[in-house]
Amino acid sequence: MLRTMAAGPMEQFEIVPLVPLTMGGVDVSFTNSTLWMWIALGVAIVFFGVATRSRALIPGRLQSVAEVFYEFIADTVRGAIGPEGMKFFPYVFTLFIYILFANILGLFPTIPGLPHTFTTTSHIAVTLSLGLLSISIVIVYGFYKNGFSFLKLFVPSGVPVWLLPLVSLIEIVSFLSRPISLAIRLFANMLAGHIILKVFAGFIISLMGAGGVIGLISIFPFIGIVAITLLEILVAFLQAYVFAILTCIYLNDAVHAGHH
Amino acid sequence: MTDTAGKQDPSPLDEFSSRLEAAQKAVEPNAEDPNATRGRAMGKGFRLGSELLAAMIVGPGLGLLIDRLAGTAPWGMIVGILVGFAAGIRNVASAIKDDRAGGDDGAT
Repeated sequence: MLRTMAAGPMEQFEIVPLVPLTMGGVDVSFTNSTLWMWIALGVAIVFFGVATRSRALIPGRLQSVAEVFYEFIADTVRGAIGPEGMKFFPYVFTLFIYILFANILGLFPTIPGLPHTFTTTSHIAVTLSLGLLSISIVIVYGFYKNGFSFLKLFVPSGVPVWLLPLVSLIEIVSFLSRPISLAIRLFANMLAGHIILKVFAGFIISLMGAGGVIGLISIFPFIGIVAITLLEILVAFLQAYVFAILTCIYLNDAVHAGHH
Repeated sequence: MTDTAGKQDPSPLDEFSSRLEAAQKAVEPNAEDPNATRGRAMGKGFRLGSELLAAMIVGPGLGLLIDRLAGTAPWGMIVGILVGFAAGIRNVASAIKDDRAGGDDGAT
């Protein structure tokens, strides 16, 4: 009915199975979300493949961009963990590039005839998986490197003994909330941004539909949507960076447990 | 400590650096993209909000899990809510501390 004109602002987040598949009773369909994850992956591989192909001493334009990415994340890792943290560089870099490309690709308008543009990072299932992966690495590496003294993380120094059970409990809950706060932040940013874009776009259509003088007012939501799109490009970058640097800060706890 | 050193006798170099700082401050707001400032502020706000929210999900959730396993009906959740809230405040406090320590030199 009305669907053709003003699709709801939430419709863009709908998961549509493209190739239905079940494996052992579990639905593992190839969905639009899967497709856009693959596209993000493909774009990242092609970008870095092309950028590093010439390996010039004096970098070209594309190679400069790739080098800026590398140095940016390398500085972040060294700053947050120290030189011994560079063994986590491949993970942090992959995480950053994947989130950045998924966020940016989600901002592209849909090309008519092709599947709808879909922001994979606007789903909590995706962001929580990334958050849990990060925190699993922290826990596994923390115990591998420090043994049981990793648990000192939950015992802050200088706390009276009678208060220790309560403080440790709070520290444990605080630690467990880390992957969830990582996930909520990324997903909420992407979700909110895309809903705002859609709502403003809806204003333009409604105002144009009213016609006459009222139609002229539609220039204001149009200016608004341009500004918000610019803001969203910044948010896409910022959230990828925040996810990467917080992963570094959490990894720092695992590397330097016991002495801080 | 630091302010007394500045007060005693303003050597030409000190005076120059303070003038330079003032000049830089005067230029910065114009050079900075308002969208970038708003985006960073939004990022900070989202960070603090999600830190608080996450702990307040985990605390009661853990309490409910203990209730379900041990059958201590409402008490696990009640304690969980309180501990979750405390952990949330602790998260926010340490996030602000990180922010202050990290400063605005590298990030901006």
